[in-house]
Amino acid sequence: MTMAGAYVRSGLFLLTALVLHLALFSDLRVLGVAPEVPLALAVTAGLVGGPERGAIAGFAIGLGIDLYLPTLFGLSALIYTVWGYAVGLLEERIFRSAWWINVLVTAAATAGGLLVYAVLGELLGEVNLYTDRLYTVMIVAAAYNLVLSLPLLGLWHWSWPRLLGEER
Amino acid sequence: MATGTRTGRSRFTLIFLLLTSATLLTLDARDFEPLQRTEETLSDLISPLRSGADRVFEPVGDAWAGVTGYDELESENDALRQELQKLEGQQILDSDAAIRLESLLDVLGLPYVQDIPNVVGEVVTANVGNFDRYSVQINRGAEDGIRNGMPVVTRGGLIGRIDGDPGRGHSRVTLLTDPSFEVGVLVVGTEDVALASGGGRGEPLMVTKGLEIDTEVAVGDEVVTSGVDRSRYPPGIPIGTVTDIDFDEARLLQLLTVAPSANTDSLSFVTVLLYDPLEDG
Repeated sequence: MTMAGAYVRSGLFLLTALVLHLALFSDLRVLGVAPEVPLALAVTAGLVGGPERGAIAGFAIGLGIDLYLPTLFGLSALIYTVWGYAVGLLEERIFRSAWWINVLVTAAATAGGLLVYAVLGELLGEVNLYTDRLYTVMIVAAAYNLVLSLPLLGLWHWSWPRLLGEER
Repeated sequence: MATGTRTGRSRFTLIFLLLTSATLLTLDARDFEPLQRTEETLSDLISPLRSGADRVFEPVGDAWAGVTGYDELESENDALRQELQKLEGQQILDSDAAIRLESLLDVLGLPYVQDIPNVVGEVVTANVGNFDRYSVQINRGAEDGIRNGMPVVTRGGLIGRIDGDPGRGHSRVTLLTDPSFEVGVLVVGTEDVALASGGGRGEPLMVTKGLEIDTEVAVGDEVVTSGVDRSRYPPGIPIGTVTDIDFDEARLLQLLTVAPSANTDSLSFVTVLLYDPLEDG
């Protein structure tokens, strides 16, 4: 597969995931909390593809979900870009991809990403982000993304097959 | 060497994407119109895919809500049964609450909401994220005459307002339960215009400003929009009923707790009032 082909495939994957999140996953709530599929996508992209692809995937899915959120356009894109990059960097330099570590990292990064989102959003003048409910959201969404991380990691491997065992 | 080049390239990509995100944030904060139009276009492009997926997965979502919300549904049913019995008992005393309210509004010279042009919209998505608990999207937008700030109602009364510039065929409604939501209100039978604000999901509204301590208000009084000059809401839209009265002795004000008359938890269809205070007021 060419690099362009891999990007087209991952673009279609992101679009499909966004539509599924809007139509399905956002309704599957536990304690009023939905899985944070877009954030999980950014993190798992970083884990599979490394920092650069993690940042690009995070930016793209962040912009996509920003279209549907009442917060400032670009806020999710900004945070998911950093998260995709940072997780990719950590994976490259520290974790080295034991599958169970990737799963735990996805959950922890979800909780951390939500906290940063709430704090940065409030600093930028948004309201109702940093509330008493934030910690419930962090815990439930992290648990959800822990479950979702395995299929997402598999799907990223499918999107970027040339990356496996080769240069990033 | 190759690793160094890759690291340099990925840093460049990161900086480029961060600068792009920061630029978008800044432009959006300044209501940059071309960006908003681009957002609408992108959203409209995804819209058919999303509508199709919504139709396919709606039964799944409903089934999930049925399973996870069973206890809540049961207690809601109990509460509704009790409410029904109470209403049946009161039916003779006040034959129709709506007629009573209408007559009170008539006495005050307030126009009826029904006279205002309106558009009925279907709620296509409630919250897609975990932080937007106070907004829903509807399938009507700018091409239907909807504009930023227009009031949104159901049979029960005011449920919110259009938030931000709507897309061509969709718009976002901020619900009145949003703690940042404020609306000028009038307790029917009084003349003091007060300010009510959202109290959070499932919580009553609070009136904390504008109602003087000597104004006669009783539990059970109806609260409607005040519609004072240039208010974004027309007068006389039902807001709710006073359930508790407290006093702020320091500010010489009354603090009211108001149970909303419209249910914002399970919205299917809503009505947008095409009301422009500058034209109509």
